[in-house]
Order: sequence, then structure tokens, then C-alpha cells
Amino acid sequence: MRHKAVMLTGNAAAAWGARLARAEYIPAYPITPQTEIIETLTKWIQEGEMDAKLVQLESEHSMLTAAGTASLTGVRVFTATSSQGLLYGFEMLYNIAGWRAPLVLVNVSRALAAPISLEPDHNDVLAARDSGFIQLHAETCQEVLDFILLAYRVAEDRRVMLPAIVNMDGFYLSFTREPVKIREQDLVDEFLPHYSAVNPFRASRHVAKGSAVVGGHIYSYFKYHMHEALRRAHDVFIEAARSFSRKFGELYHPVSGYMLDDAEYVLVMSNSFATLGKHVVKLMRQRGVPAGLLKISMIRPFPAEEIANSLKGRKAVAVFDQNISLGLGGIIYNEVLGALYGCPKRPEIVLSVIGGVGGKWLSVEEMEKIFDELKRLERSGITKPRPLFLFRRDELTHIERVLKLAGTIEVSHHE
Amino acid sequence: MIEISGHNIIIALTIHYVDEPMLLKVRFHGRGGHGVKTASRILGEAAFNEGLYAQDSPIYGAERRGAPVAAFTRISDEEILERGFIFDPDIVVVMDETLLNDWSAKPLDGLKPGGIAFVNTTANSQLYDYGETIRENLVIYDLTGLALKIIGKPIISTPSAAAASKITGIISESSLIDAVTSELSEIGVGDDVIENNIILAREVFRSIPETPPSTKLSDSKRELIPLEVVISYPGYEDIVSVGNSPLRKTGNWRVFKPIVDFSRCTACGVCFVYCPDAAITLRSDGKPEIDYDNCKGCLICYRECPPRAISIEREVRVW
Amino acid sequence: MSETRFKTLRDTPLEDYLTPGSPLCAGCGGQLGLRIFHKVLGRNVVFVNAAGCLTLMFVYPYAPLRSSWMYTAFASAPAGAQGIRDALDILLAKHRIEPDEDLKVVVVTGDGAAYDIGLQATSGAIQRGLDFYYFVYDNEAYGNTGFQWSSATPVGSSTTTTPSSRFSPAGSLAEKKDLFEIWRAHKPPYVATVSVAHAVDMMRKIERSMGMRGPKLFIALAPCPTGWGFDPSEAIRIAKLAVETGVWPLKEAINGETRHTYIPRALRPVEEYLKTQARFAHLFKPKKQQEIINMIQERVNEYWLRVAEAEGITIKLATEVK
Repeated sequence: MRHKAVMLTGNAAAAWGARLARAEYIPAYPITPQTEIIETLTKWIQEGEMDAKLVQLESEHSMLTAAGTASLTGVRVFTATSSQGLLYGFEMLYNIAGWRAPLVLVNVSRALAAPISLEPDHNDVLAARDSGFIQLHAETCQEVLDFILLAYRVAEDRRVMLPAIVNMDGFYLSFTREPVKIREQDLVDEFLPHYSAVNPFRASRHVAKGSAVVGGHIYSYFKYHMHEALRRAHDVFIEAARSFSRKFGELYHPVSGYMLDDAEYVLVMSNSFATLGKHVVKLMRQRGVPAGLLKISMIRPFPAEEIANSLKGRKAVAVFDQNISLGLGGIIYNEVLGALYGCPKRPEIVLSVIGGVGGKWLSVEEMEKIFDELKRLERSGITKPRPLFLFRRDELTHIERVLKLAGTIEVSHHE
Repeated sequence: MIEISGHNIIIALTIHYVDEPMLLKVRFHGRGGHGVKTASRILGEAAFNEGLYAQDSPIYGAERRGAPVAAFTRISDEEILERGFIFDPDIVVVMDETLLNDWSAKPLDGLKPGGIAFVNTTANSQLYDYGETIRENLVIYDLTGLALKIIGKPIISTPSAAAASKITGIISESSLIDAVTSELSEIGVGDDVIENNIILAREVFRSIPETPPSTKLSDSKRELIPLEVVISYPGYEDIVSVGNSPLRKTGNWRVFKPIVDFSRCTACGVCFVYCPDAAITLRSDGKPEIDYDNCKGCLICYRECPPRAISIEREVRVW
Repeated sequence: MSETRFKTLRDTPLEDYLTPGSPLCAGCGGQLGLRIFHKVLGRNVVFVNAAGCLTLMFVYPYAPLRSSWMYTAFASAPAGAQGIRDALDILLAKHRIEPDEDLKVVVVTGDGAAYDIGLQATSGAIQRGLDFYYFVYDNEAYGNTGFQWSSATPVGSSTTTTPSSRFSPAGSLAEKKDLFEIWRAHKPPYVATVSVAHAVDMMRKIERSMGMRGPKLFIALAPCPTGWGFDPSEAIRIAKLAVETGVWPLKEAINGETRHTYIPRALRPVEEYLKTQARFAHLFKPKKQQEIINMIQERVNEYWLRVAEAEGITIKLATEVK
């Protein structure tokens, strides 16, 4: 391969993705930890290195509205946000999808207020899971860049015509530098044909878009269509990924395994902590535990069949959720259970693990605990395990300290 | 066919009592501003006053005053285990006969065999045109004419409910009058207007005979289709046939019709400028041409015409 | 002022881009305003709409305009206009579309979007100098949801959320938000109030603005038969009364300089306007609320005294009834 790697943060990789895709229009609004993306793009545009127009709007709601209408008018649109910003613009996510505007939105995951925070979890992006956006979740800075290119290719495919979110974790990717191959522009141009909008606004051919629909059957009709288009995005992604690998080497999959082939204990993960998951799988292997990891890169369309196939025949499975659907538990856990139900040879033990919420640091010990727990469950024959909430003693000690400082618990006499 | 008096005609009257648990489904069709929702509520309240189970609900469309709307009342002697749209009414109350030809309103759609169609119309023999469409028992009455006479406005919630109440054969006049009073008070109608509505209700209730539907529980099945068939058409919600709204034909919203006296018309163009619906165009001589297929009858043209060359008359039958 | 195409009503363009058969109420002032606006702008327009009564002009599959339409969301029609304008500019600059494919971008919303939920987006679009038109049909309440109070609701109006009651006999007592001044403070090249009953004034204003680049903003008083409670045929008369009583001043501001384009020689008493509409009926029945009527009259008088002073003219005020 011709590509040479350079050290890039996830935010820089995202900016490179937009640049290589020749995004022409970038409605923007600052929010930590995303802001560097739009700053980088601004710099390139100002220096004449990138031919695009970046407009700073007055809110994410407006930003997403402008993004959607520009995409319908026939330009390739890139935009980015995080957390509160995604939720502030949330109404427009459903609209953009309903408009069939195939733009790409990078979400830099960050926990949602309250309490207001900066560090990542996936409640923000998973809130958008039912909106009609394709969702690709990146584990590495390289994936951030490559997924943006793949996202445009799939979103703009006439069999799909739906918007896409590429998700990366705040801090763990956004501000983390690691080697990233900046793809060759000429190869990207070959990979990504020109965007052509459906019935764009033109004087010679007027069109009305976004009309009200009255009559549930008409609404249902269009929603069924979107659902089928989003499901088709799965096969279109596989097709695009093959084409991508022919040009650039890497072959991406909706789900991928790590030491998975003969694994009996499998950890299911997505996003950047999957890296730590792999490390622990390796440690377990060194100790003779047949551990493996299944990484889900494509959250929508949900690759249920591949997940079920990958997990069949395993002794025990843990699904790691860096999110919490309050009152239910892990979101991905529940989706994986849905994928497994009724499948022959499905694993009997599926454990829900919740960790990393609000960017809580994860230690190796916590990740090892997951496999210990799987083995314990298998030994004891418990098939309906209680969810495992990861938390450490040193963290609780720290919490006692901050509660004391906040004055909401009594100062202990032992200290 | 039994002729009662003048233009009040009952055609093909059948009275039939059913033994099975009663669930009577009444679907009201009218136009925004007629009081369709209120009609369904008066009927529901009247049935409730009779000690029956009742349920009433409107559906909201996007349209405004004058546009087709529907409302539903279910009456039963036991708990009602249905909700929402009534697909298979025992009684349909068509509050405006022009709706009979409206492809989106489809007021007679799904009417059960043996069901009753009530039509508010000034027509007498003309209504035989609908003989093909209305194969079921038909009851007609000019509610609008009576409403204009008694309350001075074409609001026909009360008489429609009165007609439906009487047709069912299970609602007494006193239950109806109590319902009229309570429902109209609730929406802030003044006492004097309520009094007139009561007169109106009594008049209709006494003029129309009991015509209980002789329907059975519906056994018709609607065909279901798989998703692949559903989505075999385009999936974009775009409208490229812009300017297609004349196909909606809002002309049947009118209660009064503007008529131009061309001998008095000075071709000033005022009616053209102020028509909110662009339903007036100017001919080559500068005089107006009204698109009666779509004129909603706001009558701004009538009111604003400087030489008073536009007069109005009660719209009887648009098409 | 430069020469105008519009001297009398007879100069109203014959071509209509509104087609009959919309589902809006008979006698809708907002739709009439849009129709006249569209006549002057011509066909090559894309309207960007926020939730409101006019949203329901476009109920799939019907399109009662022969131009383009984009429904966005309640709060962000100006941002939707930004996206379309920017995209067209990009395509034009790159010669990917011919110049004759270009469209004028027009935001059309009611007062709920313009005065309340979409004000932030409007402020942003004006401040960025977006080249667009904004047409507000102001019916002084949330008409589409059944006439609830908005910040455009005038003093003394009852709405379903500010009804006249034992506790607040006057209905709404909040001052109507001065959107004209809020917009003017952003220094757009053009901002104007218009009335559907003064079509010539309106057409001239649109014409005047068409040569300007940047935000061109119009607030049209839109008589609403359903919400205001009057017979649809009275729509124009009521709009005229609003102007003749001085309740709705017709004015424009070019680059921030305000000028009144029509000054009634003698203002008629506001009472004449108020008593035409059910939304003000409680001011007259069961007991006349003279102090509220006087208060409304005083506000109008104060306004026009300031105008007389600023523009060096004399105005005959309507006398207060004591």
C-alpha cells in the first residue's frame, strides 16, 4: 500500500475524512469535544487547501436544518457535534432521515447532562438509533477517517439515500493521537463518486419536500420504505467495504472478531474501549481461558444475523454497554438478546455489563472481572444473571471524599 | 319508500331488532365548521344518558373549516372493546351530501349490509342519482335549511345528532335534549343559542322515524399484504406535480355562492386581487371568472366589489 | 423613490403561482398575503416553511404553489433557507447549475415561529446577512393549534390560553412583541410591515426590496376568520380597519431608517376595529371594559404622536372615550 501513516487525533482524522470526501458544505456549531474538527476544517478552507464553505450557525438545531436542506439541494454536506448538541438538534435527525438527505454527521460521544460532563458514553448517539441514520461506531482514529468515506458511499447510494452518523468517543479518540493512514485523494475520488441529489431544488423543475402527511397509512408507507432502505444499507456497506479494501487494504465488516474463532467466552463491545477489551482477551488467552471479542461497528442497520452467527455455540457471552437506559439497563445488551432469540445453538448465558458511563475509566481488573463472572455463571448454571455494574473500591473512596467536600455526608472520624 | 312531508323522505325503510349483544357504530361525515365532532359527542352523551356504554371520538385532518372531517360514536349495552376509526359502521350520518362524491371522505365506505345512511340534503328526486351508491337504507332530511331557519347559521351538530339518535331507536328525546344542553354549554355556547338548538333538535327528532339498522356483526375481511408489496412504489415524499391542488375541488365547501352580474361589473379587478384562493381569474375584458370547482365561498369578493356587481345565493348542489 | 410598477390595484400581476384548492380556511388572510407576495416575486422561488397554518397548504400529495416548497421544523426555517441558499451559491459558483436554475429563497412562517420559537434562528440568519426573504403572516396567536396566545397577541385579545375570565377579564395583558424593531436592530437592508388590504403598498415594498442583497423581511397582518372570530367575507375590511385605526402601522426600514408608508389622515377609534372580532368581544359584553379599550387607544395614540414628531407631520388622533 502507498499510504503512509501520520500521528493524528480522532478529531483530525474526522476532518481528514471530510476533506478527502470533498465535502462542499459544512454547517457548524462548537461543542467540546468536537470543536477541533470544525476548527481544522476552517483552517484548511481559509488556507485554500479545501474547497468548501463552512458556516457557523446559532445552534445545532439550525446547523442540522441547514445541513439537511443543503444536502437536498445537491451538495455534499459534512457536519459534526457531540452530546447536548446532538440532543439540541435531535428533532432534525428524524427530519433529515425522513427527507432522505444523505449527509454525514460525526458525533463525538460525550455523556449527557445532568450532571453536565465532558467525558464519553453512548447515551447521546444511541438516543438517535431509531431516527433512520446509518450508524458506524469507530474503535480507532483510522476507523474514524475510513468510516466517513464509507458512510458517504453507503448513504448516497440510490438504494439507500439516508444520512449517516460516524461515532467516536470523546477524549479516548477525539483527543488521542495514534498513527493514521491518510488515504490518497485520487483513490478516494475513485471510491466516492459525485453526489447526485433526488429532485433537487431547481427553477426548471419545482418540487415540494417535507409536506405534511395526514392518514397513518401514508406515513407508515414512507416509514416502511425508510426501514427497508436502512436494512439495505447493510449489504451496500459490505459491497462498499470490499471496494474500499481493494483500494486501501483494510477490509471492514459490520461486526468483526478478535481471537473469536475458538472462543468459548465472548465479550461483545463497540467503540474505543473495544481496544481495552482486546487487551484483556489476550491476557485471558495467556492464562488459558478461551476468550474472544466481538466488535460491533455497525449499530444501524443492526447486524443481528451476523451477531447471532458469531455468538452461536459459545459457552457464555457478555455484552458491554457504555450507556445506561435508565430503568432498563444496557441498550446494546437488549438488542443483542433480540438478535439471539430463537437462533439455534444460541448461548445460554448472556451477561449484561455496564461500564464507562460518563467516561468512567476502565481498568484491566474490571475487564478481567467480566470473564471471571462468565466462568462463575457457567459453573453455577445461572442463565438469567443480574447485570454487572463495573465500579472500583478506589472510585468509591474518592466519591466518599467528594460527597464530604460537597457537604452531603458527615465527615468520617477515622480520617 | 315512505313520504313523510315535503322534502323529508324515507326510502326503503326496514326495521329489524337484533338479539345478539348490541354494538352500534355511528360514523359522522361532515366538513370543518359543521360541528361534526360535537354531533358525535351529543350522540355519545345521549346514549350515556340512556344508561348505555358510549364512546365518541373525532379524527383530525390537516384541513380547516370546510374540509371533510369525520367523527365516531359507539354505543353498546356492554363494555366497548374497540377504538378509533370505524371501518364498518351500522349508521353513517352524511352531514353534507357533496361528500358522497368525495374520494377521500368516502362516507359510505364499509357501511354494513342492512345499515342506515342518513344524508343531509335539500334534494328530493335528485338523490336517486345515488341509488347505485347507496344500496342500503336511506334517510334524508334538509338539516342545513332548518338550521338556517332556526339558528341562522349552517351549523348542524345538534340536528345531525338528533337524526342519528332517532334512527338508532334506542335514545329518548329527553336524553337527547339533556345531551344537547350539556355538550353545547361545555363548548361555551350561549343560553339563547342553546334554546334554539333544543327547538331544532326536537323538530328533527320528531320528524324522522326510528330506523334501527338490521346489521349483523361484520364478517367482511380486508385483504392484507406483505411489506414487499407495500413498498414496491417510490419511497420519496417529493411532490413534483406542483400546482395540483385544484384536483382537491374545494368548491363543495361553499354554503353560499358568489355570482357576478357582468352588466354591472366595471372590471376593476378588486375581487381578483383579494381572492385568498386564486379562485378568480380575469378574462381578457378584465372581468372576473370564478372557478366554482374550487371557490370556498369566503365571499370576500361579494363584500369588496365596489359596484356591488356580485350577489350570493345558497349553494344547493355543486356537482 | 424610484419608479414603481405598482400604482393602482390594476397593476397587480395577473399571473398566479398559488393554485386554487388549498385546504386552508375560507377567507385566510395569511394565504392571501402569500399569494400577493408570490405574484411580485415571480415563480422561481423556494419557500422554506416552519410549522403553522400554511404548513397545511402542503398536505401530501397536494401542492397549491407552482413553485418549490421545503417544510423544515417549527424553530429553524431560516436555517433551512441558509442551507438551500448556500448550496445554490456553491453550485452556481462551480457552474454545476445554470444561472437560470437559481431560486429566490423565501422563509414563510406564522407569528408563533417568527416571534417565539424561531426568533433565535431568524436572528442568526439576519446577522449572517443571508440573502433571503422572510414573510410572516401574523395572525397574532397560534392559529394552527386552535388559537393559543403567542408573543404577537395584542393587549385585550382573548385566546384559548388567555381567556377572558373572572380573574383576568381583559384576556391577554401582555404587550405585543415589537418584531419590526427587533429585526431592525439587526440592521437588515429591508424590513417592512404590510397588510393584505393594502396590496399596492405591499407590492411596492416587495418590489423595492427585490434589488437588495441580504435579509428582506416582511410582517403581514393576517386576518384570521377562524381565530379572530369574524365572517370570512370581512377579512379585508378588518385588515383595513387595523390600518385606519392605527393599530397596524404600515412602515418600512431601509438599512435601519424607518419611514411610514401610509399615514391615516385621521385615526379612527380602535373600538371600531375591536368590535368586529370575537376575540375582543369580552371588551364589550356583558359589560363594556372601557379602561382596557382606552388603554389600547392610548398606546396607539402614543405611537402615532412619536411618529408625527419623528417624521414632522400632523396626525389627527382618535379621541379617547372617558
